[in-house]
Amino acid sequence: MAQVIVYGIITGAFYGLTSIGLSLVFGVMRHLNIAHGSLLMIGGFVAYWAFHLFSIDPFLSIPIVIVILFALGVALYKGLFCHLDSLPEGQKINNSMLVGFGLTWIIDNLAILFWTSDVRAVTPAYTGSVIQVMDGLRIPVVGIAIVGLALLVIFSLHLILTKTFFGKAVRATAQDRDAGNLMGINVERTYLTFFALSASLAGIAGVVAAVNYSVHPTVGFEWLLKAIIILVLAGVGKIGPVFAAGIALGMAEGVSVYFTGPAYREVVGLVLFLLVLVYRAK
Amino acid sequence: MLELNRVDVHRGGIQVLWSVSLTAKEGRITALLGSNGAGKTTLLSAISGLVRTSSGTITLKGNPIGSQPVHKIVEMGVSMVPEGRRLFPEMTVHENLELGAFTRKARAGRHETMELVFRTFPVLADRRLQMAGTLSGGEQQMLTIARSLMSRPNLLLLDELSWGLSPVATENIFKTVKEINGSMGLTIFIVEQNVATTLEMADYGYILENGRIVGEGVARELLSSEQVKDAYLGIGDV
Repeated sequence: MAQVIVYGIITGAFYGLTSIGLSLVFGVMRHLNIAHGSLLMIGGFVAYWAFHLFSIDPFLSIPIVIVILFALGVALYKGLFCHLDSLPEGQKINNSMLVGFGLTWIIDNLAILFWTSDVRAVTPAYTGSVIQVMDGLRIPVVGIAIVGLALLVIFSLHLILTKTFFGKAVRATAQDRDAGNLMGINVERTYLTFFALSASLAGIAGVVAAVNYSVHPTVGFEWLLKAIIILVLAGVGKIGPVFAAGIALGMAEGVSVYFTGPAYREVVGLVLFLLVLVYRAK
Repeated sequence: MLELNRVDVHRGGIQVLWSVSLTAKEGRITALLGSNGAGKTTLLSAISGLVRTSSGTITLKGNPIGSQPVHKIVEMGVSMVPEGRRLFPEMTVHENLELGAFTRKARAGRHETMELVFRTFPVLADRRLQMAGTLSGGEQQMLTIARSLMSRPNLLLLDELSWGLSPVATENIFKTVKEINGSMGLTIFIVEQNVATTLEMADYGYILENGRIVGEGVARELLSSEQVKDAYLGIGDV
């Protein structure tokens, strides 16, 4: 059972990373960016190619991933999402979903075209190595790196949002866009940067996905599903609850695998999702 | 300081303001009065850039501001206290004030400005780490003014300060506005439904009806004019 908890925490840290960018952008800008999963996939492929072509360790390729995804985020926001910003909230959510679905379709198919639909994984030398703790409790080295990375992301985001003028501008415009504008905040530029930052976060999650699982052109949608379950479990736009919900989901899946085998793993998340919708959505 | 010349504004295809011309003189309190729906808030929003004008010019110290984005107009020294306060309720008093000093120029001197603002509003200093949403109505209104002062404006736009306040709290806020105007020499343009109290404080007044300026004059004179007595004070001859 201790083993289940260890794996639950590692999986949860990954789920948290998958969801955090989606959740923050939804909370602040009211864009539900369905293409978040596809951005994650691109992050995974960047790590994959960096590893295979240049032998760059996946965790060290994260800065490259951040830069590439940030640039992609800027392009997507300038080209598509910023045109939705003047819509009223409900329409904005709906339209951002439509745009996101379309983007997912385009990005995923382009990825198949360029990279084929093969399933690939990043396998550095330490893949599969574990640290033995006490009798029988094994902690994977990659898992330690993932949890450390998640903690680093939580800490950095918290610092950015509470200590910098940019972060305060983000929180202020989330509460009242016009009032923020009247403070002299350039709302468009703030949103642009924040959206690009969220794309970078998707990329980081993609690196983890490629190391801990695998990456292929349509993998994004699978992880997006988890991210949306967590969005519903955690509520919107808060860092702590997102990771707590990620770990809860990871644990719940781990426990279900422990008792019923892997066949029902995906069902657990969806059942949790339904329960929250039925009992908490009021 | 501020000049509007034949300004028209449309909102959603409907003309709201018709050829509005007015002036707010440096260091003075200028009031714009009118009933609900006359277009007062639209006029203020046009000055701050939240709403675009369809024709006419708005100039600040002779510089046109009509086509600038909102944040640039703030940088030029215009600060607006919006109707309904519009604080950032889930942020502390301190953070709200910091955001008031968001522009590059204001940011550099924000610590000194905050000291100054706390001297005018000592109650905010006591509550600096409290969430803005938990303040009383009067305190929230003080915070909105304080937040606007943080940007070190040349022109302060006040929209419906008496909104949701008791008569006593309204009187206090108006007294403070008069003090700010006196001590800082700040130009103030105020929009109000509360005609009598506003005219007692202001230097000059304009009356807006159905999107048109229908009267203007020195505040004291307006207060005793038949037009204002009839329409707004309810003490004219029937």
